Formats: sequence, structure tokens, C-alpha cells
Amino acid sequence: MAALAPDVVPRGAGIDLGGRGIPHAAAFDAGPTRFRRFFRSLELWLPVGILTFIVLVCFLWPVIHTIPAAINGNLLDANLPLFTHSSLYGNHILGTDTLGNDVMSEVLYGGRTSMEVGLGVAVIGFGIGGTLGVIAGYMGGVLEAIVMRILDMFLAFPALVIAITIVTYLGQSELHVIWAIAFFAIPAYARLARATTLRIKDQTFIVASRLSGASDKRILFRHIAPNVAPQLLTFSFLGIGVYIIVEATLSFLGYGLPSNIPSWGKMIANGQIFLSTTPQLVLVPSACLFILIISLNLTSDALRARWGAQ
Amino acid sequence: MLTRLSRSPSVRIIGKRVLQAIPVLIGVTLITFCLLNLLPGGTCLSILGVGATRPAVHACDIRLGLDHPFFVRYWNWAFAALHGNFGASLTSGQPVSQILRLRFPVSLELVVYAFIMSVVLSVPVAVLAARKPHGIIDRISIATSMFGLSLPGFVFGLLLILVFAVHLRIFPAVGFQPISAGIFSNIKSLTLPAATLAFALFCAYTRLLRADMVDQIAGEDYIVTARAKGVKYWQILIRHALRNSMFGLITLIGLNLSMLIGGTVLVEQIFGLPGMGQQLLQAVGYRDVIVVQAIVSIIALAVVATALVTDLLYAVLDPRIRYGRPSS
Amino acid sequence: MGSTVSTETETTTDDFPPSGVATQVPLLQVRDLKVRFTQNGRTVRAVDGVNYSLQSGKTLAIIGESGSGKTVSSRAIMGLLPATASVSGSAKFEGVELLGMSDKELRTRRGPDFAMVFQDPARSLNPTMRIGTQITEAIRSHFEVSRAEAKKQAITLLQMVRLPSAETRFSEYPHQLSGGMRQRVMIAIALSCHPKLLIADEATTALDVTTQAQIMELLEDLQSELNMALILISHDMGLAASFTDEVVVMYAGRVVEQAPTRTLFSNVRMPYTKVLLDAIPRLENKSHTLLPVVQGRPPDLTALPPGCSFGPRCPYVQEDCRETEPPLEEHEPNHIWACFHPVIEGSSAK
Repeated sequence: MAALAPDVVPRGAGIDLGGRGIPHAAAFDAGPTRFRRFFRSLELWLPVGILTFIVLVCFLWPVIHTIPAAINGNLLDANLPLFTHSSLYGNHILGTDTLGNDVMSEVLYGGRTSMEVGLGVAVIGFGIGGTLGVIAGYMGGVLEAIVMRILDMFLAFPALVIAITIVTYLGQSELHVIWAIAFFAIPAYARLARATTLRIKDQTFIVASRLSGASDKRILFRHIAPNVAPQLLTFSFLGIGVYIIVEATLSFLGYGLPSNIPSWGKMIANGQIFLSTTPQLVLVPSACLFILIISLNLTSDALRARWGAQ
Repeated sequence: MLTRLSRSPSVRIIGKRVLQAIPVLIGVTLITFCLLNLLPGGTCLSILGVGATRPAVHACDIRLGLDHPFFVRYWNWAFAALHGNFGASLTSGQPVSQILRLRFPVSLELVVYAFIMSVVLSVPVAVLAARKPHGIIDRISIATSMFGLSLPGFVFGLLLILVFAVHLRIFPAVGFQPISAGIFSNIKSLTLPAATLAFALFCAYTRLLRADMVDQIAGEDYIVTARAKGVKYWQILIRHALRNSMFGLITLIGLNLSMLIGGTVLVEQIFGLPGMGQQLLQAVGYRDVIVVQAIVSIIALAVVATALVTDLLYAVLDPRIRYGRPSS
Repeated sequence: MGSTVSTETETTTDDFPPSGVATQVPLLQVRDLKVRFTQNGRTVRAVDGVNYSLQSGKTLAIIGESGSGKTVSSRAIMGLLPATASVSGSAKFEGVELLGMSDKELRTRRGPDFAMVFQDPARSLNPTMRIGTQITEAIRSHFEVSRAEAKKQAITLLQMVRLPSAETRFSEYPHQLSGGMRQRVMIAIALSCHPKLLIADEATTALDVTTQAQIMELLEDLQSELNMALILISHDMGLAASFTDEVVVMYAGRVVEQAPTRTLFSNVRMPYTKVLLDAIPRLENKSHTLLPVVQGRPPDLTALPPGCSFGPRCPYVQEDCRETEPPLEEHEPNHIWACFHPVIEGSSAK
């Protein structure tokens, strides 16, 4: 789980100038050399490309190619090694797991689940948390104080503990998992939204807007929201990575998704015992998790570097 | 003396924070209580099973005091809790406070160990990395940080077990050795779990420290002054840059406390440590509301308390806050 | 930092300016100092050929706007420029070439040989370190003294810079002091290792006028007490007039006028210098007299105009100014300038 600290952002290493009287960075804005520009864009587009690839593969491949189901495998087919041919189901490219499920399809469907959960939480956080934060930041006063105090309370709970509790008592399902994780995503988004709103609120163009008689609602929609959204978006990439890890951890512990929905965390949990004999049962989903999350993190970093952290 | 104390800005800030923390503590326990007692799947129903008869459930409700109005129940609980009475476990009948007394030290030791590990290791690595930006150590530390922040904790834990316990056989894979069994084996049994807990934090701290120090050296005027004085480079790094970076580190530590403390649930489960986290998982599985209520409350309280300490540390260490306004 | 030791082909006289004691080896001799910053393929000529000599105990003023290169040139001498800078030319301190020296060796000289006082004492002092420690740090980096001894020396220094209650101030933090006091601390730090040369880089710019006068007086007294050479970097001509032996005026990285102070102020030649002089408010002017202001903005060093860099803002500019860059030449004894159409009438300053 990454450190969810939107307000403690390492300042980007600016141009290496040692103090006063030395030409301002703007003096060098003739544009970077082509080499640098290539790397710069690679910094962003490579992880984005990997992300897109993962999304496409997980969501489209099972549609295009019929692959064996990820559940209800035949026990007789258990623990097959890589690249096995099966007369019934075609290729088991990655073999099968202890219950006879095809590992490849488990990976693909598990990926779907992870991303659905991650995205779901992010959407809820963005929508509810973002709105709360913007309103609190803009209105100020007692309303802001109360809202932020309440959200602080929510943040005091360790994510895992709360998620486990909620899921157990609501019942295990994908939706409940999403809401359980959203429990602490909403305050995180709200905090960031509020901080950004406060920063923008007193800028000249907002003040000018207010002086020219624009209604609060109009200001919120037309001026504040469009400036807060990019910050929240950048944060989302980082956040989704965290939510996916939480979901995987929940499933690993057995308190996440129900057993009929494939999940990478569950795969790892089931494969633990066979770590020495069939390591791919743990290594494959672990690698997938790692690649997905690192792409998210790299994208987030690249976006921050481009749009400037504030 | 009290008036003199109240004039010190540090003490005033400390006082303010402590007062602010109290409603948060109350709110936290209240929210926990809400969650556990308002959620569907009534306690008694799950205890007695699906086929329970209505009068049996009702009797159980009365026995557990579940028929009282909500706030009364909360008040009763809170009042008892303040006196150290957290009720009795629904599954074992054991007083919860007794359970906690057994389990708390294990979790505490784990958390402290992990905390020390994460901070003590990150400082030298960050200093070495900042010494030569884009040098070898720097690149390795950046890559490691990215790696560590992208790897789920349990995967890392399993990796550690695979390498250090199974193949190298240096550390035990599972199980806990109390101090009574020897301090050395006690620490050995906690090392892999603490490392699992500490790794992601170590990565975050290293990343922050390194970036902050490099920024200072590149941009801050007092660094130029130090160079102009002829101070050695290592000294500049440590006595000037690192010192100022500590504040950012403290802030980051505070923000990640819930991760540190909450992570014990996962780590204790993987490594089989008899701590509060493991107990919580068991209790959740058995629908033992009393135990869950107690443990979740305590965990949340711990987070709030440590966050408070972090804030206070900030107020005490930053000379700008400690000594307030300029004189004359 | 790359540097080339320039060959000394001196067509002009070796002493700039002749101080009458020509037999003395100058404390600092700067020849054709050039500093270039290169980043992302773009080059900025921050300093484009600066020459001067400074004897012990004398004061030199370097005047110019921001971006004129005045700060960069002195930082180049002390080796405080970032890695993106490439320095060429020569800067000899007591005959030893400083440019191109390893940072390790330069470090041993920073403090005992030369020291700098910076512009913004609020940012130039570490906010989390006691000021006493910041002074003793300088001392103990160069001399083997005990902590107690260093503390004693530091307190003496603070008293020397006329900081009231020096003993108490020793343990205080920068934010507990006012701007003027902080600047005194900066001076104390600079003096801690008894440098032979002190460079005051806009040392008084961030202070109010009264404090400014006090600090300048302090510097003057200290200089005569310690027989220190002083380089005053500023944009304030008034400052230069009162305290200095020689003035160098810089614009867009180049020297545009240079002369002993008396000469410069009684016979201003370069229009830029004249404009700077005219901008000094004078007591004898009637109230509400408009201050003449230099038109335009400081030049963009990446896109200098052809011809004279000051051309676009010069009230006396003519056609040839825009075509060729006027060379820097000694048109009158001890007075060099770079202008095709200098101001001829002698202007009276102070």
C-alpha cells in the first residue's frame, strides 16, 4: 500500500541553479533536446501503454477467444504445468491450479475484478469525496470544520481493519468490497479536494468572478471544479493502485470477494502452500499485481511531473 | 508557573491538540459501535444459527443487552471501557481485557520493531543517495522505492519467507518466541514480519528524504552560505539538509501510521503471530462482536494517539514554533 | 567547471586602475572572466569578459541590475556556481589561480582567504540551527579549536559586528532576530576566519535605509580595522559613491564602464551609468520631482540584441549603436567604457 500522502509531495527537481542573480529557469525554456523529449514522453506513455494493454487483455481477450472458465475446474485437471494441451478446453497456457481451474483465465478474470474494484472505489471517492471536499473548502466556516473533523475520524481507522469488518458484516460481494474500501478513499479525496480548493479560492480570477456577481454554484462548476479535477485525477492513479492492493490483501486473507469470483489475491493465498512445487501459482498473479500497480504509480508520477504538483 | 507555561507556544499547541483529539477519540469509538451494531446480520441470529426460533433470539437479545436503545448501549460500553472492562468474548467467555493483555505486547513489539527498522534504515540510504544525485546508489534507491511501493505487502512477506526462511533458513517462517524464550530468538521471530511491515514505509521515507535533500541542496540559500563558509560536503548534507528534511519525514510518518498499525493484521496472519491483529481476524470470523468492538476501538485509538504524538513532536522540534516570535 | 587560463596579452596597462603603488601584487586579479550556463542545448552568457584588480584594503564596487552578471562573477571566483556553469578566464588570488581549482582545495580557502555576505539573511541562514552554531561551524571547519574556544570567538565576533546582547543571541534562532541583526550575523560568519577579501553581495538591499547605513558603516570600520579588501555588489550607485575606491558597471554580463570612483562620478560617460546616477534621489530637488527611471526591462540574456546591449533602452541611442557592439576601451586615462556616443558633459554627483 503506497503512502497516501497527496500533500507531502517531493518537489520536482527543478533546474539546477544555485541561488540569486543566476538566470531564471525561464531562460532555458527553448525546449529540451529531442532525446530528452522522447524520454519525457516515454515516462508517461510507457506505463499508460502497459495499463491500456492490461485493460484490453483482461476485458477483451475472453470475449474474443473462448477460454476455459476461471471457476468450477475439473479436479482431475489439477496442477497441470505450463503449456498443457487439454482436449476439452484447449490450451492451458499457464497450467492449472489446485482445483483444476485454468490459471490463465483466472489471471484474466482476476484482473478484471481488480480493476473493477479499483475503478469503482476511485469513482466513488472522486464523486463523493471530491464533492465534499470542494464544498467544505469553498464554504469554509463551521461546515468545513465539522466535515473535516468527521472525515479525519474516518481516516483514523486502518484501512484493512475497517474493510474486513464491513465486508464480513455486509456479506462478501464485489459491491460490498468496493464500499468497504471507499470508506477510507472518500476522506482521502475530500482532503485533497479541500486543500486544492483552498489554494484556488483566493486567486484573482475567482475573486473577480464573485465580484461580477456570479452565483456560488456557477463558480463551483465553472471555475473550481475544472481546476480541482486534474489534481484528483493524478491522485486517482496512485489511489487505484492502493485500492487494488487492499482488495488483493482482503482476498488473500479470505475476507474479500466471495470464492466464486476470481481474484489475484485469492490465487496467491491458495497457491502459498505449493510455493516450492508449482511456484507459478503464486508468482504469476504476484507479477500481474506488481506490473499493474507499478504502471499506475509510474503514470501518477509522470502526470505529477507534467502538471506540476501543488 | 502555570501562566508561564501557558505563554510557551509549544505548550499551547500541545494543549490545543490534546483537546482536539478527545472528540476524535469519542467519534472513532462511536463510529465503530455504529458499524458493528447497526449492520444487518444480527448478532444473536448468527450466534444461534439460521434455524433459531424467534423467542430464543429474543432471549439472547435481552441477555446481551441488545434490546436497549442505541445510545444507551454505547454509553454503557464506553463507560465500562474507560474502566478497562471490555466485556466478555462471545465465543470463549473470556474477559476481553484478559485477551488483550496477552495479545497487545506482541503487536506492540512488532509495530515498534517495524517502525525503528523503517526509519533507521531509510536515513542513511537517503543520505547516500542524495550525496550524488543520479549516481549509482541514488538510482538503486529510486528503483527500490518504486518497487517497494508497487508490491503488495503480503507478496513481499511471502517472498521473504521463501528466501530467508525456506532457502536460507536464517529466520523462522512462522511462530512467535516471547522474550522469556530468549531475547535473541524473540527478535529473530519478529524480524521477517517487521521487515514486511516496514518495507513499504522504508521506501516512502527514503523517497521523500532523498528528494527533499536534493531540493535543498539545489535551491536553498543557506546551503550556499554553508558552502561559502567552507563546510565539508558531508556536513552540509547531514547538519543542514537532513536536519530540515526531518520535518517532512515526521509529517509523512504521521500520515502513514494507520498503515503501520493496520498492517499488523496482515503480517500477524501470514507469520502466525499471536497478536491483536490475528485475534481480530478470528473474532470477525466468529462474529464475536464484543471482541471486534474492543480491538477495532483500540487500534483506532492507537492511531489517533500516535498521530497526536507526531504532531506534538513537530511542535517541539521546530525551533520556529518553539521559540515563537522574534524578540525586539 | 571548465576553465582555461588565459594568456596574458596585455596591451592595456597591467594595473586596472593604477593605484599608485604599482609594485604590490594585487590581492585579486580577474582577467577576462566569462561564465556560460548551458542547459537543454541553450547557452546563456551570464558574464562576458570582466577584468579588474583589487589591492588589499581597497574597495571595489560592482554595480548593475539583476541579470547583469555581477553576482555570478563573484560566485565564480569563489567556486559557488552550480555544475551547469562553465567558467573561463583567470581569477588569481594572491597569485594563485582559483578557476579550475578542485572544490576540495577551494573549500579550504573559503573562509580564511575570502568570504561572502549574501543578500537575503532570512533565507541565507539555516532556520533550524542556532546562529551561534552557524558561526562556530565556520570556525571549526578551518581551525582546530575546542567547542568552548569557538564559542568564545563567535561571541567576540558578534560583539564586533555590534550585535547587542551577543551572549544571549548566540543561542537564538534566526527567526528570533530582526533583518538588520541577521545581516550582522551573516557578516560575523563571513569574518569568522579572518578573510583577506570580503564580498558583500547586495548585503544591504533587503534592509531599510537606516539599517543599511549602519551596516555600511560597520563594514567600513571593519575593513579599516582588519585591512580587508572589499567587493561591494549592488544596484545602488549611491552606495558606491560613498564607500569605494573603484567602480565597475555591468550590463547584460559585460562591463560597460569602469574607473576609480572619483573619476567615474565626476565624469560619467556611459549613458547607462548616467541614468543610474540620475535615478538617485537628491535632497536638493524639490519635493514631488519625478525620478528619472530607466526605460524598459532588464535584457533577456538568451536573446541579446545586435549591437549595444543597452541600445533598446538608451536615451542617446543612435544608428551605429544598433549595428555594432561598442568595444570596451580606455578612452581616457584610468577610465574605460564601451559606448560610441558617451555623455560628454561632466555630471556632478554627490
